[in-house]
Amino acid sequence: MTVDLDKYVKPGRDYYIALGLEGSANKLGVGIIRQPVGQLSQTNRAEVLSNVRDTYVTPPGEGFLPRDTARHHRNWVVRIIKRALSEAKVTGADLDCICFTQGPGMGAPLQSVVVAARTLAQLWELPLVGVNHCVGHIEMGREITGADNPVVLYVSGGNTQVIAYSKQRYRIFGETLDIAIGNCLDRFARTLKIPNEPAPGYNIEQMAKKGKHLVNLPYTVKGMDLSMSGILAHVDGLAKDMFGKQGKKLVDEETGELITAEDLCFSLQEILYSMLVEITERALAHVNSNQVLIVGGVGSNERLQEMMKLMIQDRKNGQIYATDERFCIDNGIMIAHAGLLSYRTGQTNDLWNTVCTQRFRTDEVFVKWRDD
Amino acid sequence: MTDYLVGQVQKHLPHIPVEVVSQGAEALVFKTSVHPYLPNSISPYLDNHDEYIIKFRPPKPYRHPKIDASITKNRTVGEVKFMSKLARIGIRAPSLISADFNNGIIWMECLGQTLPNGEVSSFKNWLWYLERNEIPDKCVSDEVRVVCIKVGALIGRLHLNNMVHGDLTSSNILLENFEPALIDFGLSSYSGLAEDKAVDLYVMERAILSTHSVFSDKYNAWLLEGYEQIHETEFGKQGKKKHLETIRKLEDVRLRGRKRSMLG
Repeated sequence: MTVDLDKYVKPGRDYYIALGLEGSANKLGVGIIRQPVGQLSQTNRAEVLSNVRDTYVTPPGEGFLPRDTARHHRNWVVRIIKRALSEAKVTGADLDCICFTQGPGMGAPLQSVVVAARTLAQLWELPLVGVNHCVGHIEMGREITGADNPVVLYVSGGNTQVIAYSKQRYRIFGETLDIAIGNCLDRFARTLKIPNEPAPGYNIEQMAKKGKHLVNLPYTVKGMDLSMSGILAHVDGLAKDMFGKQGKKLVDEETGELITAEDLCFSLQEILYSMLVEITERALAHVNSNQVLIVGGVGSNERLQEMMKLMIQDRKNGQIYATDERFCIDNGIMIAHAGLLSYRTGQTNDLWNTVCTQRFRTDEVFVKWRDD
Repeated sequence: MTDYLVGQVQKHLPHIPVEVVSQGAEALVFKTSVHPYLPNSISPYLDNHDEYIIKFRPPKPYRHPKIDASITKNRTVGEVKFMSKLARIGIRAPSLISADFNNGIIWMECLGQTLPNGEVSSFKNWLWYLERNEIPDKCVSDEVRVVCIKVGALIGRLHLNNMVHGDLTSSNILLENFEPALIDFGLSSYSGLAEDKAVDLYVMERAILSTHSVFSDKYNAWLLEGYEQIHETEFGKQGKKKHLETIRKLEDVRLRGRKRSMLG
């Protein structure tokens, strides 16, 4: 039996259109998606009508604060929505529903974006659909890559999880016990005063390409979970010794060459990504799967994709799926996509039930649109 | 790809016939008929002279070679130390024969027999065998009860020595003439905390629930019965206290689930 996804199609139409609003962190994204009726498949695909994003960038050495990020979102949300609508060539009357990120994320930015969503819904008399941010990433990744039942590695600034689908839930197999991987990289970028433009993680990646000496860092995989705060403290300490007042010089044990900031970035990436690949491999062995889908902002890192590829090659018929920065980094289109799927199964939120939550676990979502 | 990995173990162990028994995410387990340094006839302390187990942690190509070498070495050393400590305090586990830390190889005693259906006599396979081939009564017979209690006692003794297995599942327990033995110490650690022991028990409970769901309530109750008995018989009053502490914690852990919910 497959789920009936077409109970709510507007009379006289054979497609759905949804608008999605995303603002759980420093990106404000608005996307409009069109899904044809029937089950989505390789031949019956969703179409991205527009995908607009604006990122709040802070000066080097500073992170984004909730208050300022929320202000950025409030300032830009109307302009971005207008641009998305005009790019997609649709109006409010064409839409089926308004989707918004209900969590997880930073409180203040979430709140400011949901206000926009509620306003639109009442203005155009459309139903609201609250979406779990992680599920948005997973569904968009599946749609773009065509992976049908992969183990998902979700790595971003606020989340680090290994997820596998089972019985209408995306179940978390392993996750971080403290900080997220993107957070770890961003904070190290702050220590080194690397620019936040276009993204701190991207700049670390570019520096890491020039590094060649491996510095000893702790490796902290705990069963299926991992811990990263200790690694960050360790590498931060090294960086402060090297570039602080003391100006301590570190040398590589084998070659006797000086350790540079690039080497630190290289070592940090190597150790963190090894840990990620290891827990992903565990999850693969556990659920007997051979597909991996990488989603989330850190998923656009080429070194991580390369390492994952090397791991998957050693498995029978192993396949890796990754998306590019348009869909990896937070965006509105994934919220629209996941929200529309949930709308098509009759899941909508009444106005009183649109309160955002900073903590919204991936496995709390009932995945009504899948039944395999 | 297994062939490729077999090739790698053969590089370190030339002229030794090996046969793959199982493959996990981290390690491969082989069977071999060769003892590394003694002729088969004179390894007096082992029961099984014909077969030995080789556990091999292959190098992971995705890791930086330096990271890979240090992880392989640390984990192999950790596992070997854990096994040797188990041998000292008399907890049934495979005896160590030899180890090559840098290449991630552990050579050990081969425990367990073959069940009538041709599978290794692990706790899991045995229970499954009973479930599939015998009348249902047999699955909850006294024989099963006795084995469950013994397994519980074995885990209890491990915990009383402040050691935690870390991956207690029914496939990580082998039965040798209905005497249980522990295997696979890749995730083991040392801890006297009730919290860690409770988590260990919880992992076991969940594993039983997912692999032997039909009779899991009975099995789990018997396991805990054995776990309690050993605390009282071997460690008296102090053991009783420790047991109470762990079980209280276990109730907390059950409520919490393995994954903390971040609601609120």
